[in-house]
This record gives sequence, structure tokens and C-alpha cells, in this order.
Amino acid sequence: TATRALPGPLGKAGRAASAALATGGAASAKGPGRPGQLQDETLGVASVPSQWRGVRGIRGETKSCQTASIATAEASTQARSHAEAQVQTEAPVPVSMLPPSRLDTTRLAAFLQRVEAMVIRELNKNWQSHAFDGFEVNWMEQQQTVSCLHTLCYPPAQGQGLHVTSISWNTTGSVVACAYGRLDDGDWSTLKSFVCAWNLDRRGLNPRQPSAVVEVPSAALCLAFHPTQPSHLAGGLYSGEVLVWDMSHPEDPLLWRTGLTDDTHTDPVYQVVWLPEPRQSHRFQVLSVATDGKVLLWQGVGAGRLQLTEGFALVIQQLPRSTKLRKPPRGETEVGTTAVAFSSFDPSLFVLGTEGGFPVKCSLTAEEAALTRMPSSVPLRAPAQFTFSPHGGPIYSVSCSPFHRNLFLSAGTDGHVHLYSMLQAQPLISLQLSYKYLFAVRWSPVRPLVFAAASGEGDVQLFDLQKSSQKPTVSIKQTEDGSPVYCLEFNSQQTQLLAAGDAKGTVKVWQLSTEFTEQGPRETEDLDQLAAEVAT
Amino acid sequence: MVNLGSPPAPRRSKGADRLGTSLPGSRAVPGRGEEVEETLKRIQSHKGVIGNMVVNAEGIPIRTTLDNSTTVQYAGLLHQLTMKARSTVRDIDPQNDLTFLRIRSKKHEIMVAPDKEYLLIVIQNPCE
Repeated sequence: TATRALPGPLGKAGRAASAALATGGAASAKGPGRPGQLQDETLGVASVPSQWRGVRGIRGETKSCQTASIATAEASTQARSHAEAQVQTEAPVPVSMLPPSRLDTTRLAAFLQRVEAMVIRELNKNWQSHAFDGFEVNWMEQQQTVSCLHTLCYPPAQGQGLHVTSISWNTTGSVVACAYGRLDDGDWSTLKSFVCAWNLDRRGLNPRQPSAVVEVPSAALCLAFHPTQPSHLAGGLYSGEVLVWDMSHPEDPLLWRTGLTDDTHTDPVYQVVWLPEPRQSHRFQVLSVATDGKVLLWQGVGAGRLQLTEGFALVIQQLPRSTKLRKPPRGETEVGTTAVAFSSFDPSLFVLGTEGGFPVKCSLTAEEAALTRMPSSVPLRAPAQFTFSPHGGPIYSVSCSPFHRNLFLSAGTDGHVHLYSMLQAQPLISLQLSYKYLFAVRWSPVRPLVFAAASGEGDVQLFDLQKSSQKPTVSIKQTEDGSPVYCLEFNSQQTQLLAAGDAKGTVKVWQLSTEFTEQGPRETEDLDQLAAEVAT
Repeated sequence: MVNLGSPPAPRRSKGADRLGTSLPGSRAVPGRGEEVEETLKRIQSHKGVIGNMVVNAEGIPIRTTLDNSTTVQYAGLLHQLTMKARSTVRDIDPQNDLTFLRIRSKKHEIMVAPDKEYLLIVIQNPCE
């Protein structure tokens, strides 16, 4: 309705208003109905003065700054003379004692008179004192269990199905090397194989990437690091060769090799050992043991060749008849040797493990010539002095005790470990550790009564003769599927580490609990007691 | 307490029996060298004593019953330790001085009797 009414009244007013709007704003202020002209008008500027600014006023000053000119001067220096200097650590010269002639005996006697009484009193008091009974101090963090620190492997070798046949720690205890090969091959093979080394103290250790890898032309069966040079490594091959590498030069590691001469072994080399030279004890030679019955001593000469210096041959007719052996066959036959261990107390005495299962005590100083027709550039001697009672099968490993001069262990395919004393043919203790073969046995370097054995059932067994002489204290499972563990070695520098290599191609480094690394107070005496149980 | 000034004959023969050798020299006044040897052997024969040695003021061993390398090692290390112990005692109280030093370890006890010119070191295994 509004819209309809609008045109009517709005029509008149609307016309008037729109007329007023059309004429301009100011003029129409007088009211509608009076039309005006369209005009532009300008008004004056209206300004409002600021009140506060006037009070303050504006103050300004001009300032400038300029850095003073910088003084420069040119000078030069040049070293005119220089000198070269080198530093080399040498083995310390042992201090020797004062010769007795430069001694003032009177004053020494007077001194001893003064102190003797007091010292004897203290000795007696100490002997009777119970003040420290049962007092024990723990300096190191106690580790209760055995744990696996590293699992090391080399995938190309594992891909070829190679086993870890031997392990060695270097002289500083930070590098572990392993040899790859196969222990179950009966045939000659031209399988290329590897020797790998891992530096465990390096940061960023990649367990699948060894720090040094050496390719060898044939399966490597044994390794031994040099006793004083941290990077020299000797190894024996399936082909009978003995090689020495320098692991710090991965591009060209081979230092010396025996080559394939008349002197080389004709059978696989099962163990190599570094021996100090008889006259210069800081230089070393390599001893190799193989199943052809020869024990050979090699010396590195110029042009990278290992030369034979001495040799021994074990012939069955020349073995001392200290124990009943099988009737020897006609003709001279060599006894295959599979393991060697040197006594830590007498450097010329060693024990050989044989394929016949009997350990043989031998000496480097033996003079008798060996009855063998094997060709050799140096005369071969018969080293055997005493034969021990045999195992039920070939021996794979022997180990001489570092704490007692007469004790050694041997382990073989009959699954037994025998503890022998050098003084009698029958073993002191015979333990069955496995229903399969035993491949390695080693005495602990710190605990006189502890040894470790690697079994064909895939575990590493640690024996503590103090705790139990029947069953192992700890049995560490190395392989899940029960494939055999072929080798193990204790680390003599970091005594809580034990490395073991198995048929799957992995090397596991185990950290032992503190009970295996700290000597108890009476262990050496207990060991002596054990050794004294020799039947008279 | 035996008077050490003039060792009587019976005691000397006891020492000879024990050692299986007869001591040279006259019976009236034994030489100073023999006295030194006797005293050290007396100490050595005590229960549990593994070894003993006499070290001079510079840490060089003069007499010992152990092998050379062990002796040299013990002498050097214990000389340094004794000097350190003595300076510790005197730093705490300048009127005080070190009279005896004993180190007890898991396997044995080391006893050091210090002096201005010499040190007597005895190693005992107190079997318990």
C-alpha cells in the first residue's frame, strides 16, 4: 500500500525537493520551493594552532663524526733457518741394579739394625691378624651376566657359505681378525677366501664392514697376530702356504709368503705361531703346523719371501713309547699335526696335538734327525720327547696354562677336554663337554682356573674349575640353529672380551661377567694343588 | 729380643743349616756385608714373606731376593709412593714424619720401612 500511496502526495513534494537539490546545497538552505544557481564556492582554510608544540619549541643541533685516519704499516717475516726434529718412542731400557761394590755396607747394616725389629713385629702381627677377613673392595663396576658386544660379519664371505676358521686379537687388544674358509671340505679347492679385520675401538664401527679385508688365493685356516707389531698378521692356507700381511696397508698388504716350493707344507696348515728368535728376542719368526707331519720355522728375508730356517717332522716310529699306541704300520709314516701350544714358562717347550688323538711334548732343541723322506732344504729333526694318552679321536686344539708350567688342555673330536700334566701320560681330568666335536679350547689369561671351549653344538662353554669340575659354569649360545663354533680367543689386553667365530660366518665378541675377569685370592694355590694330583 | 750387635755363633750356624751353605769369614766379628745378608735372610724366613729388598735414596735397588725385573718395578714405584706419603704426612703436620707404610692388596701386603738413605720393602702373603 505504501507504494501506491507514494506517487500521489510525493509527487508534488518530490518534484519540489528534487528541484531544490538540483539548484545546490547552500542556496536551498532557505527552504524548498526557492531555486538557486549552481555555483562553486571556496571557503577559507581553517587552521587550529597546536598548543603543546609551541610550549616546547624545536631545538636542533648539527653533529657529525669522522673516524680519524687509520695508521697502517707494512711488514713481513720470513723464517730464515729451520731445523728438523723427530720423535720416536723406543722400548724402555730396563734399569739394572746397583753393582754391589758401590755400596756403603756399614751404613746399610746400621739402617737394617734400626728397622729390623719393627718390621718383624709387623710381619708377625700381620700373620695373626683377622682384621681383613672377608673384606672386599669393588673397584670396577660389577657385570653380572655375559652379553654380546658385537656381531661382526663380512657379507661377501657369508654369501659364499664360508665359515670363520680362526680368530686372532692383535697385541694392543683393539683389532680382531678372522679368517674365512671351510673346515668340512675334504677336497682340494681353489676357492678364493678372505681375511678380515675389525678395529673395535674405532668410532662408527660398522659390523658388516671390516676395517681391512685381504683376499687370499685359498681358504685360510689359521691366523696369528704379531706379538709386538699391531698390524702384522700371519696366516696359514689350505694349500700349505704361510703368508704374512701388514693390515695397515690395505692396498698392498702382503709382506712375506712361503710360495709353493719343496719346503712348503703339502697339506693344509692348521696353526701358525710367532716365536721370538733365539738370539734376538725382539725379532720374530713364524712356526707353522700342518697335517703332513712337519713343523716348520720360517724367517722373513728380503724380497718378500719366507725362508725355512728350521724344521721338525713327527714320524710315528720315532715317538717315545710312553703310552700304548696302535701298532705302527710298516714304513715311515708321518703323524699329522693339527694344533700347537707353547709353554709360557719354557720357550723351547711345546705341545703338539695330532690326528691320532695323542698330544706329544716336544722341544725346539731336539737334535735327533727325523726318519722321513720328505724333501727339505734344512735337515728335519724329530722333536718328540713324551707322548700322552690319547683321546678318542683327532685333537683339534691344545692350550698351555699361563699360570702353571705343567698343565695343558686338549680338546678333540670325541667331545672331551683333557687336562694333562706334563709329568704323566694319563690326563688329570677328562670332561665330556659335547656330544659332537670340540673345535677349540683356551685357558683364560687372567683366571688360573678358567677355560673356554667351542663346541660343535653351537655354544661356547666357560668352565671354572673352582666352582665345579663337572659342568660348565656358563654356556653361551652363539648360533641359533646349532651350527658349530669353530674358534675362540680371549683378549689379553681387555680381559673381559672373548671372541668366537662360527660356521655361519659371524664373529661374536662377548663381554664376560666380572667373575671371569677378576682373580680370587687363592686361585694360584688351588691350581698348584690341582696340578699336584699327579699319580705317583 | 736378640741383640743384633754381635751375632753369636749358634745363630749363625742355624742360618747355615737352613741355607745349606756355610758362611765364610771369621767367627769372631762378622763383616758388615754378612750382617746385612743375615738380616735380610731372617726377614725372608718369616711366615708368608714372598720377597724383600733394600732400595737407596734414588730408588735404585741394592739388595733383593726377587728377580731383576720385578725388583726394579717395585723399587721405582714404591720409592715414589713413599716420598709422596712422607710429604703428605709432613704437609698435614710439619712436626710429624712418616715411620712406616703398609699397602694391603687382594693378593698380599707390602710393607715399607723408610729412612733418610734407604728403604726396606717386604712383601708378605698373609694367608687367611
